[in-house]
Amino acid sequence: MAKSARQAQIEKAALYPLDWTEERTGLVGYTKWFLFRNVPRDVNWMQTLGAATLTAFIVQATTGVFLAMYYKPDPDSAYASIQNITNEVTLGWLVRGMHKWGASLFIILMFLHMARTFMFGAYKYPRELNWITGVILLVMGMAEGFTGYLLPWDQTAYWATVVGININATAPIAGPFIAQFLQGGAQIGPDTLSKFYSLHMLVIPGGIMALIGLHMYLVIRLGVTSPPWSPTAAGRPRDEGEEPQGYGAYREGLIREHEEDKAS
Amino acid sequence: MSDGTDNHDQAPGSSLWPIGFAIGIACILVGLVISWPAAVLGAAVTIVFGVLWIRDAARSHAPVDSAPAHALVDGTPSEAQLAAEEQHLETYGRAGFLTLATIGLGGVIGAGVVLPSLGFAVLPSFTGEGIETNPVDLGPISNFPEGTFVITSFTGSKRQGDVSRRTAYIRNNGLSAEKEPSFTIIYSRCVHLGCPIQPNGPAFKDQAKTYKDVTLTPVKPAGFGCPCHGGAYDTEGNRTAGPPVRSLDRYAFSVADGNLILGDHFSVGTVAGTAADAVMTRYPVAYPGVHVDGIERFLYPLPVPGAGA
Amino acid sequence: MASKKVQEDRDAFKRYKEDVKKEGKPFFPYAIFHDTVMSFVVVAVIIGLAVIWKFTVDDGQPGALGPLYEKEADPGTTNFIPRPDWFFYFLFYLLRIFKWPESVVLGTVGIPTLLLILLIMLPFYDRRPERLLLRRPVAFVAAILVVISMGVLTWKGATAKEGSEAVGEVPTWAKEQGFADNAVAVEVATLFAESGCLNCHVYLGAGGQNLGAPELTEEGLKNRGIEWQVAHLKNPSSKVPGSPMPSFADLGDENLTKIATFLEASKGPQK
Repeated sequence: MAKSARQAQIEKAALYPLDWTEERTGLVGYTKWFLFRNVPRDVNWMQTLGAATLTAFIVQATTGVFLAMYYKPDPDSAYASIQNITNEVTLGWLVRGMHKWGASLFIILMFLHMARTFMFGAYKYPRELNWITGVILLVMGMAEGFTGYLLPWDQTAYWATVVGININATAPIAGPFIAQFLQGGAQIGPDTLSKFYSLHMLVIPGGIMALIGLHMYLVIRLGVTSPPWSPTAAGRPRDEGEEPQGYGAYREGLIREHEEDKAS
Repeated sequence: MSDGTDNHDQAPGSSLWPIGFAIGIACILVGLVISWPAAVLGAAVTIVFGVLWIRDAARSHAPVDSAPAHALVDGTPSEAQLAAEEQHLETYGRAGFLTLATIGLGGVIGAGVVLPSLGFAVLPSFTGEGIETNPVDLGPISNFPEGTFVITSFTGSKRQGDVSRRTAYIRNNGLSAEKEPSFTIIYSRCVHLGCPIQPNGPAFKDQAKTYKDVTLTPVKPAGFGCPCHGGAYDTEGNRTAGPPVRSLDRYAFSVADGNLILGDHFSVGTVAGTAADAVMTRYPVAYPGVHVDGIERFLYPLPVPGAGA
Repeated sequence: MASKKVQEDRDAFKRYKEDVKKEGKPFFPYAIFHDTVMSFVVVAVIIGLAVIWKFTVDDGQPGALGPLYEKEADPGTTNFIPRPDWFFYFLFYLLRIFKWPESVVLGTVGIPTLLLILLIMLPFYDRRPERLLLRRPVAFVAAILVVISMGVLTWKGATAKEGSEAVGEVPTWAKEQGFADNAVAVEVATLFAESGCLNCHVYLGAGGQNLGAPELTEEGLKNRGIEWQVAHLKNPSSKVPGSPMPSFADLGDENLTKIATFLEASKGPQK
């Protein structure tokens, strides 16, 4: 269908900002590279767990930023500020609730995502570094859970932190030093809470964001695996005897493999 | 050949740079003793001569010097070739210097930013800042009936407030064999992982007293139990069951004007004997879960600075 | 020259890249649609949990998802029972399993560190290209064992009851043992509950279960008599040679007699 001159003009005007940006940044190209890359045709629902984990993290980051506007990291006022957020601030209960329950969901989703990766054998060559960054992200996520648990400054918070710090202290040789660094002195004191707050909302999330970037870059660069049981899995072995190159008549190979599967 | 003259000009200088560098270092050392402006001057001299020296060193490591000799021996490379080669080598030499300088300067910048921050983040934990040694006044001895434990909660540091709230189980043992007052003062944190231990027995809340911000509740325990991982202790703080690695921590005490004054906090291995006759070795306060005696103490060979008395 | 295995791995990945290029579907909009649906579910669940958490709280009483906040931290408490966040329950229970002083460091640092190293190094010792779980017997068994043990540890950690929590169980006991109307019996039961017996023993399902102390629910059926019980409480090894139970003499005769009476009256649930 031939476009009218007017349509073409409108289209050009609409796309102009994109072209302008692309010419100066190249970002449109990168976005296309991200969005329009191919993934195996047989990816399944279990492979959405990574995106779900990312979403949970974004929920945590967003709600966390806004909680920081009302929270006071000081033993004398932390508990009162939590009460204030929950009872007084408009929708404070919702933001705090989302942060609290989002944390649990984030951890669950990380474990499920890891279980999926394990089940698919998706950590094997060449995706070893995806797995390693993922495990580090899991550890950092749990560190977020540990540091965030202290912030409400209630009884469970305080004593779970006492035990957590002392668990570190039992490590041979370096343990007591780690514990003393974590609590910022010989005892849990005023500095401990602000130290945990800084770790919880600046240091660890910064690391998590950087690692998520690396993790996702690797996923996009190396591609998503097919489910290993799929007969049309991308990268499935070909019959080397008849097809030395393996790729030429791939459709024939496809059909033959179907039959083999039925026969076996 | 500009490069050749350049080399010739610097040849005598190159032997001077290390001397200037050495003078700078000497200036710093003398300045540190005498006055800091001299040290700064010395540092400046050191840096200037150091940079010149590195520059020279980088140049001499590049194969610049061999190039003319090579050309002479081998005969007649075309002038264009020679010029191109020299230009190339010249670029290589400068690239080497620039690489070194960039890495060096980058390292200095990184160290300048990271080291103070890291030191600030880490060191205060080990300087003992925030540890207060003011003795805590627990009130008249008459509040501690002989032979009975009293759950005593007090504020360890007035400046820190509620965060330094602590509890000790205090038993008045009467007079010791030397006619001195004797108290068993057991700290309320489990030596497994620091949970708050509980007395195994009825507390008499109706007989509770207060003295300033100290609360005193008599209790009749048969021992102490930890609600986290099942550690159990007898009334001297010795482990009877579960995972605790030593006996419960204690406090020293003194008596002034008829008031019980809390003293230093210390760790113990095991306690022999009971009440006024109890015998134990005092160790510096150790973290819960850390062995202070037995073979396992070698797992924790380094004392932690600033861990408190 | 790359080894045979490396060459095979590279060929397989090259095949994968070519297959994806030829047979694959664009990430946008086919795959990203599924991702977005899943993300929507995640956000909906989070908001749903927050709403349930808030609106089932009734006048300060904890709702379906627990209270809005606990009591303020008290570093000097003597009656609080610390528990970690749920995803650390497995570690919490692991620490209860290591009940010998010599092994504390195994539970706190040794085993978690070892597991973490095994986890992070997984791609380097599991190098076969096979990806189908059913054809990876070691991985399959290991996965099942990990899931089961984490599940069991988390469940045990979540349900672990401490001896001193038993005071809260007294009304239940009163109902089951049929002494709810007897004020003296309730008082004595409370004394029994707060004396730490249940740090080691089990009574009607409450108490420490991993120290191997005998259950006390039906202690009365043994008909040992109050005197025997008092003497045993004062010096356990005088009645049961070699007993690891500590002396409870510090409770005083009056309290010991009460506890002995309570034990003699405990003849199992009256149903």
